[in-house]
Amino acid sequence: MKRLLTEAKLVLIGIPVAIWTLLPIYHMFLFSISTKEEAFSGELWPAHPTLRNFGVVFREQNYFLNHFWRQFANSLLIAVAVGAITLVVAAGAAFSISRLRTRGGRLVLNCALFTYFIPAAFLAVPMYKAMGTYGLLNTQWALILAMVTIASPYAIWVLKQASDKLPWELDEAARIDGASPLQLFRLVYLPLIAPSLVAVGTYALLLAWNEYLYAFLLLSNDKDITLPVALGHFLSADDSPWELLMTTGLIYALPPAAIYYAFKRYMVAGLTAGAVKS
Amino acid sequence: MAPVSFNNIAKTFGSTEVIRGISFDIRDGEFMVLVGPSGCGKSTLLRMLAGLEEITAGTIAIDGRVVNQVDSKDRDIAMVFQSYALYPHMSVRDNMGFSLRLRRADRSEIDARVMRAARILNLEPYLDRYPRELSGGQRQRVAMGRAIVRDPKVFLFDEPLSNLDAKLRVQMRSEIKALHQRLKTTTVYVTHDQIEAMTMADRIVVMHDGAIEQIGTPLELYDRPDNLFVAQFIGSPAMNVVRGTLRRTGSAAHVETADGVRWPAGSGGGVDGQAVAYGVRPDHLELGGGGERTVPGEIVVVEPTGSETELVVRIGDAQMTVETHGRTTLQPGDKVGFAIDPANVHLFDQASGARLVS
Ligand SMILES: Nc1ncnc2c1ncn2[C@@H]1O[C@H](COP(=O)(O)OP(=O)(O)O)[C@@H](O)[C@H]1O
Ligand SMILES: [Mg+2]
Repeated sequence: MKRLLTEAKLVLIGIPVAIWTLLPIYHMFLFSISTKEEAFSGELWPAHPTLRNFGVVFREQNYFLNHFWRQFANSLLIAVAVGAITLVVAAGAAFSISRLRTRGGRLVLNCALFTYFIPAAFLAVPMYKAMGTYGLLNTQWALILAMVTIASPYAIWVLKQASDKLPWELDEAARIDGASPLQLFRLVYLPLIAPSLVAVGTYALLLAWNEYLYAFLLLSNDKDITLPVALGHFLSADDSPWELLMTTGLIYALPPAAIYYAFKRYMVAGLTAGAVKS
Repeated sequence: MAPVSFNNIAKTFGSTEVIRGISFDIRDGEFMVLVGPSGCGKSTLLRMLAGLEEITAGTIAIDGRVVNQVDSKDRDIAMVFQSYALYPHMSVRDNMGFSLRLRRADRSEIDARVMRAARILNLEPYLDRYPRELSGGQRQRVAMGRAIVRDPKVFLFDEPLSNLDAKLRVQMRSEIKALHQRLKTTTVYVTHDQIEAMTMADRIVVMHDGAIEQIGTPLELYDRPDNLFVAQFIGSPAMNVVRGTLRRTGSAAHVETADGVRWPAGSGGGVDGQAVAYGVRPDHLELGGGGERTVPGEIVVVEPTGSETELVVRIGDAQMTVETHGRTTLQPGDKVGFAIDPANVHLFDQASGARLVS
């Protein structure tokens, strides 16, 4: 009886949440299969559904979409680079803090986490200035490094929590077996936290994939920008092709959905690891 | 194979002193067991030998070389952990070959040595399995396999059988013993289980509270415990102990307890009137008999185990365990006498706990 009640409550909460999140996506989907004329008709299903919009996007047949494939590739390259670099930084840091017990490691981690108290938007301008100082403005490295900076503290924290759960005896056994710290890292540590690595890597990758503000600030050349920034340009026109904007948006949302679906298992296990202090 | 020596070893964690100046030597090829109650510092001592714990003071030498400043990996030791500490992401074969791989041995040599160890431990069918696919006993064997593949100077074991069920524990006990007889590698084995210590050791170090109580062969410890702690720690069921006053008249002696019982004692040490602890093992109280060397008892509990019968009896105010061979028709409440041979009596000074010797 009690279980039934709990389930009923969950359903009552779940249905509104589902509608809440799915409605905009459905709206987006409607736009993408509607012609320009029908897009604002307010119908639940267009009278003449069409895939023409997709063709226009893929063939770059619109002023705003002149560099669609190039910008899509930029997004991909930057996201993958951010995911990879964040993994290297976070795995190294977590290993050294959690397993090598490096002096001051915890302090560094806490300082890094502290940066989350300041909204990333406030840091955008200082970041812009810093990149200017390094001469990286308008290069994709600027965006990559900025996103790594934003993703790293959380990534390190998640990996550290996961690392803390590995039994000490494994490190000790490996040391007695003759492993140097680097061998311990490569041959024992990395394989054992692989699920968390997948989760953290995906997290950083998606963060960069979806980023708008920093991409907008740090990149300006049409051939360097990421797709979200390009989509932003749609809004600068008085007579925006909304159906194409939504179509592109929908296409852009597919890779993250695929990635999430593929790594769902790891995401949940990895990101909740250490959520409960045991 | 190598001798090991501990010289005035001390260890403090922060301000707590955990090991208080321990010295002893382990001979080449010896099976040495460190035994003592939980928390007495056995693991700490072993871990200092393994190089996993800093040595606060004193020196440890392996094969004549002081290793205080030597890294674990250069001490040429192998250790079996209570939790086995197998690498979960490696097959049995890779677990066992890991140390050789790190030492850059070539593939064929690693294979040969892993196969040899697997044959010794009957692990051949499991070489390609992962640790999670093995039973507790098999994991235990893999952990041992990982150690013997190395052919190290010293084997270290830290309570390796504690996670096994009772039956498997007895079986692995004899397997480890047989392995040692075959390889003759110096072994340091830590346990809190005195039966394990008694059955496996060449010699035993009894530890208590960070210090050594006694070192000796199992039977030396059993027959001539140096002090009350060892007397009560070694032997199962534990030695019966009562406290009383030693009365010595000429060559005859007995211990008188407050309840008026006169416990026969021999020509051992101690002076008339001394406050003593009087110890007698459960199998040295002989059922029946009368006369001088007999104390009167009353049966409280009868516990047959098949080949033997354990009795709980009241003698004066003391509860004692008595072990008799064979079976008995005795019932709780029966009154019987127990004969004690003074040669089997252990006397200790009540204040210091030290054995009284003549
Ligand atoms: N890393 C440590 N820090 C502080 N105290 C410790 C540490 N390791 C062990 N101790 C303490 O040292 C004592 C001996 O521990 P240990 O050697 O593990 O005992 P045993 O193995 O005989 O059960 C215990 O009181 C334990 O609490
Ligand atoms: Mg211990």
